[in-house]
Amino acid sequence: MKHLSEEEQLDIYYEEGSEAAKAHLKACRECSTEYAKFKRSLDAIKPEAIPQRGPEYGDRVWQALRPQLIPYEKKTARWRGWSWWKTVTAAAVCVALLTAAFIGGRYWEHNKTNQPEVAGNAQPQQRVVVVVLTDHLDRTERLLVQLNHADPEDRAENAQLQSEARELLASNRLYRVSASNEGDPALAGALDRLERVLAEVANDPHLTAADLDRVRKDMNTNGILFEVRVLLARKPNQESGPTSAKGVSI
Amino acid sequence: MQGSDQTTVRAVLAGDKNAYGALVRAHSATVFRVAFRITGNEADAEEIVQETFLRAYQRLEKFEQRSAFGTWIYRIAVNCALSRVSRPGIEAEYRHDDESDPEAKTVQVAAQDPNPERVLLGREFSAAQELAMQRLTATEKCAFVLRHLEERSMTEIAEVLNVAPNAAKQAVFRAVQKLRRELAPLRGNA
Repeated sequence: MKHLSEEEQLDIYYEEGSEAAKAHLKACRECSTEYAKFKRSLDAIKPEAIPQRGPEYGDRVWQALRPQLIPYEKKTARWRGWSWWKTVTAAAVCVALLTAAFIGGRYWEHNKTNQPEVAGNAQPQQRVVVVVLTDHLDRTERLLVQLNHADPEDRAENAQLQSEARELLASNRLYRVSASNEGDPALAGALDRLERVLAEVANDPHLTAADLDRVRKDMNTNGILFEVRVLLARKPNQESGPTSAKGVSI
Repeated sequence: MQGSDQTTVRAVLAGDKNAYGALVRAHSATVFRVAFRITGNEADAEEIVQETFLRAYQRLEKFEQRSAFGTWIYRIAVNCALSRVSRPGIEAEYRHDDESDPEAKTVQVAAQDPNPERVLLGREFSAAQELAMQRLTATEKCAFVLRHLEERSMTEIAEVLNVAPNAAKQAVFRAVQKLRRELAPLRGNA
């Protein structure tokens, strides 16, 4: 027969013992003798007498505490609620825009690659160029969306924006020069405006909240974003009509 | 009491600083009692009462209105007391006190029994008990005080000490083992 451990005796003492342990205690004489000793030793540990505090004690504590307290402001609850909703809405809009841009880009790209070649291999090089340029415009669109919704205080995000802008800047120059040579002024103009924004973001050594704000306002990133979207919409149409297609040689 | 406490908390958060006085008056005795039991020192307990109510006021916005203010302030008080007895300097001070005359630290309690020999033995046991309590670690002492003297459940103790229920139970068990061992020689006499 297994006797009760000290830990089980303690559980019984604090009325947390299992039914099996209690039953064993009743049945086993050895354990009940041990438990009686255990109980006596714990019963002997009594609380120290607490120094008496009169009914005025609470008042005394309050009088000592009162000068240290600064009153709460009344408007805190409403302000917090507004801030919370604003943050959630802004985050939701950002996520929705980024998702839409990403899925749209992927879907369009997927359709392009899966479309049967009506013109055979007549203009394979031009098709590749259009896909590459579309990819560039997709990335640029994403960057502009991020730029418009970037948190100025988030340094990690700003650094990521700069790194992406540097990569896009180099390829953007090539596309712009090619578009000019090919005689596509609309594309060349849009890419030129885009290049200025990319250069501004990529080359600023300490991108601050004020810089981001200035780029957004002065360079009208929203307008450029719109132009990029128009160009993205134009490219598939051009590709379907081989005669009217305009690509950029790289 | 709970309902009126909630109303008072709302009033304080709305800018009525003086409303906090009602909460201080209602709960200061409980806070003092638990602080004294954990520290075993009247002056420390007084300071802990001040610190507890000040901390509670500063964090009042975080107080969840679902729970009782009394439970919340009790937890803050235990944490303040635990920090106090865990401080190395304070612990050393307690250890230093151990070496002084134990009788001098005995609380004068009115004797139930007029027999002078029994009164003396009772004092001796109280002094030994206090000494044994001071030899426990801060967590063991706190867990034991809450379980044995304050009669709190293991779940409550675990929450207050921010440990798993099993860890709280082990802390109480270790404290009981140490106290029984230390007080064993006196047990026959007391």
